[in-house]
Amino acid sequence: MRGKRQPIPKVLTKIAGLDEILEGGLPRGRTTVVSGGPGSGKTVLGLEFLCRGAMAGEPGVFVTFEERAEAIRLNASAMGWDLAALEKAGKIAIIEARLPGEEIVSGDFDIQGLLAIVDGHVKRIGARQIVMDALDVLLRIYDDFKHERNELSRLHDWLTDRGLTSVLSVKTRHDDNQGSQYEFLDFMADCVIRLDHRVLGQVATRRLRVIKYRGSGFGTNEYPYVFGERGIVLFPLTTAELTHQPLGTKVSTGLKGLDLMLEGGFRRASCVLISGNSGTGKTTLASTFARAACQRGERVLYLNFEESKEAMISGMLSPGIDLRPSLDDKTLLVQTAMPESTGSDNHLNRVMETIASFKPDHLILDAVSACVRMGSKQAAFDFMMRLVSVVKEHGITSILTNQISSGVANSDEELSGIGFSSVVDAVVQLRFVETDEELIRQMLVVKSRGSAHSSRRQSYVITDRGIEFPDTPHPPPGRAGKVRRKDGGK
Amino acid sequence: MSKASLAKPRARKSPPGHYLLRLFMAGNGSNSQKALANLHRLCQEHLEGRYTIETVDVVQDFEAAVRDNILVTPALILVAPLPRVVVLGNLSDAPTVLAALRVSEGNHE
Repeated sequence: MRGKRQPIPKVLTKIAGLDEILEGGLPRGRTTVVSGGPGSGKTVLGLEFLCRGAMAGEPGVFVTFEERAEAIRLNASAMGWDLAALEKAGKIAIIEARLPGEEIVSGDFDIQGLLAIVDGHVKRIGARQIVMDALDVLLRIYDDFKHERNELSRLHDWLTDRGLTSVLSVKTRHDDNQGSQYEFLDFMADCVIRLDHRVLGQVATRRLRVIKYRGSGFGTNEYPYVFGERGIVLFPLTTAELTHQPLGTKVSTGLKGLDLMLEGGFRRASCVLISGNSGTGKTTLASTFARAACQRGERVLYLNFEESKEAMISGMLSPGIDLRPSLDDKTLLVQTAMPESTGSDNHLNRVMETIASFKPDHLILDAVSACVRMGSKQAAFDFMMRLVSVVKEHGITSILTNQISSGVANSDEELSGIGFSSVVDAVVQLRFVETDEELIRQMLVVKSRGSAHSSRRQSYVITDRGIEFPDTPHPPPGRAGKVRRKDGGK
Repeated sequence: MSKASLAKPRARKSPPGHYLLRLFMAGNGSNSQKALANLHRLCQEHLEGRYTIETVDVVQDFEAAVRDNILVTPALILVAPLPRVVVLGNLSDAPTVLAALRVSEGNHE
């Protein structure tokens, strides 16, 4: 990609997202240590690396110190990998290296036996990659640190001498402050990856971090990951490398009046925030946009975290927005979910899978305010940052609605509730204004990046024909004179 | 030095009271050589006339190591009399080895 240093040879893991974080994969012919607590996915990571390699014709050996080979095969088949077939084809060898457990020790010993077994299998299938899963179990037989260290060195040298690309996984305890336990292993390895499984706001989340990578750059953040249907899925979000599409041409909002205020509409691939109190018509406005886009033959993915699909479709009939034809001709896809049903990473994975299969032109998220129920503000923030980022990379317009609880919000920060104004390109604010006689709704374009916009509050009503403006909205000021205006000035 | 055979009559039935010992070694690594020497000495001292030692070199025969699930060497398996026992290490600690093999130090059963 970019930032070329002396490139070291690497092997792609083919695990979704991981190769980007590792800037091209694992160090070829060298040792990588993967550590993490129970349930963090060390085994799956190793297994996936090996299986994907084997399926691409690269034979590999899997040494398991803890689980039975049968359990490993089951594990793999749950992800859609047929280990037994790969074994049969001589692409994978599984070595069950389970210590008997009741052995008696008298004097010095070493792991020559293991190495001989491994060597036999490596030669038999011509393996160039190897995974040793739960190495900590093997290390338990050493009662002194020096001995353990010598054996690890021996193992490391042995693997390196044979030019094997190796993944050694070790279990760390939950209470371990990560690192002290197997410090030597980390020191010895060329690449160290930590998996972390923690609970945030009652929702389990998983994070991957690369601790070191000799001779290579790597993504230094913590990356969320989930177990998708086909293995591990990571969501690298390297803000340093934003590859967003430039904002595109104008796309109609579906409302003539709002198009006027925005000098033609939203920009394609931009992120638009529609914010307002309950009842101001956020969903109506979003649905208006969706219907218009679908009628033009564009595809809209509507994510609804607030209500069921049926409730939403019938609810939109009263302001005269019939989304059913769009559902029928499959230009509209409504995906609903309870935010608290699973962690934000799983939500994200689900949306990603839908985006990949449905290929929408526009995405509507209703509502940002509900996403906090995925666990925490941080979880909601991660979810949205990653979603909007990916969506932008694909040139998809995103419309986010956000319900604000009370009063008038002044800034994007407050509007979005969780402060991600930097990715928001346009903000449309809806609000109620009370007069002596009535409650009036007003619409205001607070910001619109890369485009002029009206800065007047425009009254509107919601009728059975949708959103209407009693007075023709004002176009942006000074169309001729080019009046400069700071964004978000109000 | 007596009945060190090279791992052939594996499934043979031993007469009662006869010890069948299988020693897994790794080439001529120093621990393996020590283990072999220690084992011979212990057997001669305590099991004179009623033991057989088989040696297996895992470097030559990794399948044998797979069969007996031997990951570390040297490793001694007491094949008979049952129950089977595994002792890891160069067998330098005689009392531990004898206890594991259920041989009383006072000699003869």
